[in-house]
Amino acid sequence: MGKIGRIVLLVFIAVQLYAKTEKTDIYTENCLQCHNQMSLTMQKIFMRYLLKYSSEVSVKQALYDFLKDPNYFTSALRKDQIARYGLKNKTTLTDEQLRKAIDIYWEKYKVFGKLK
Amino acid sequence: MLASKNKATNLYQAERKTLFSFLLLYSFFSIVLLAISGYLYYSLQKELMLEGQVNKLQEDSYRLISKLRYLHEHFEEDQTYPRFSTFRSAIYDSNKNLIFTTLNEENVNLDKTIYTINDNIHYVRLLESYYLGAMYVVIEVKDDGQWFNYMKKEVVIYGIVLFVLLLLVGYYLFRMMLSPMRNSLSLLDRFIKDTTHELNTPISAILTNIEMIDIERLDPLLQKKIRRIDIASRTISNLYKDLTYAALGNRVESKDEDIDMYLLLKERIEFFKVISGAKNINCIMDLKKGVHLQIDRTKITRIIDNLLSNAIKYNKRSSFIKVTLRDTYFEVEDGGIGINEEALSDIFRRYSRFNKSEGGFGLGLNIVKAIADEYDLHIEFSSKLGKGTKVRISWGK
Repeated sequence: MGKIGRIVLLVFIAVQLYAKTEKTDIYTENCLQCHNQMSLTMQKIFMRYLLKYSSEVSVKQALYDFLKDPNYFTSALRKDQIARYGLKNKTTLTDEQLRKAIDIYWEKYKVFGKLK
Repeated sequence: MLASKNKATNLYQAERKTLFSFLLLYSFFSIVLLAISGYLYYSLQKELMLEGQVNKLQEDSYRLISKLRYLHEHFEEDQTYPRFSTFRSAIYDSNKNLIFTTLNEENVNLDKTIYTINDNIHYVRLLESYYLGAMYVVIEVKDDGQWFNYMKKEVVIYGIVLFVLLLLVGYYLFRMMLSPMRNSLSLLDRFIKDTTHELNTPISAILTNIEMIDIERLDPLLQKKIRRIDIASRTISNLYKDLTYAALGNRVESKDEDIDMYLLLKERIEFFKVISGAKNINCIMDLKKGVHLQIDRTKITRIIDNLLSNAIKYNKRSSFIKVTLRDTYFEVEDGGIGINEEALSDIFRRYSRFNKSEGGFGLGLNIVKAIADEYDLHIEFSSKLGKGTKVRISWGK
């Protein structure tokens, strides 16, 4: 492999790595950092939203509404769960970043295609 | 050959045609009515069958929901969709997107609670808690079709019985509607029979006595009066013969004999010359000698007399009548008033008359047609209003 070939390969790997990091970063950095320290898993929270809102559009919208303005009414968790874990602060993410993070969250835990 | 008896009181061809059209239309509407009733009965039976299935399907849906609830709560450990031996199922989210299915039938209507599709029964239930995101649960069981076979048998049997009953009622109604008309025809027929019986003796007496009078020895005024009586008598005689034929003639067996058409036509033209002379009608004869026909004399005479009588009756004054005889036909042509095209289709109907101002019962051409049919003679009728009429009787082509 010549010099040029090695440069092209490095650039390709760098781009792939950047893309992957960019995709997971928003969700991992902004969501998982705190949630990983809680006993209430992301899967359980997702199933709470699914139980209440059913479709992809409704679930994503409910998550967006809660993260924009976390309160008793926008949260899908039970009162005792809220009392136990408390309400988070308003998100500092932009709308675009927030929607991206929610999309990643949906893709990670959605039921579609997982049932057998 | 015997002609059919008592035609007037039997169904005419037109009447039969009307009966056929009536029964066709009546049958069509009866079938439509029966089809609608059958469909309503089918819908009712189907609804009853589905109602009978609802309880069982509800129980099945409870079993499925219970499993879905478990799966929802333990989704991290288990992602196996619940399956049952007695039914199949599917789940859909609130946007009607399919989450998972084990159904045989892909087409699902989530807007109905219960329905049948391609030998399957679908029961749709809405969930209050959306386990696994499912808002709609669909339960599918096989429809064995027993109810349908039973119902089909019932519909076919009762449908046929009802259809036959409706047809009988229709036929009875038709007969009831026609009875006033049939009574009138029967009355007219009876009247003709009675009248002809009473006319025979006086007509014969008048004609015989006129023939016995030596007209040349009378003074001109009396000659004129006697000729008028002669014309009137011959007209009555022709009418009498028509009535006799209509009332009795068709019951008498035909006595076919060899008829010299030249001689017979000449004789009948001579007979009618007195009547045509009164209208100053010129009789042209173009008769070929030696044309013979095997036919009943009375019947062929009725044909000729009626054609000649009509040619005179519906002719203009000082016009003409041309009688032609050839090997396979004879024809009578006149320069008279003619008939319009609309009336042509009705000319052979009994009691139909071209012109109400002229006398007659409207029997003549009906008799001509009956005799022609009996002997397979072909009638060609052509007429132009105001110009004249030509009737050709042909045979043995």
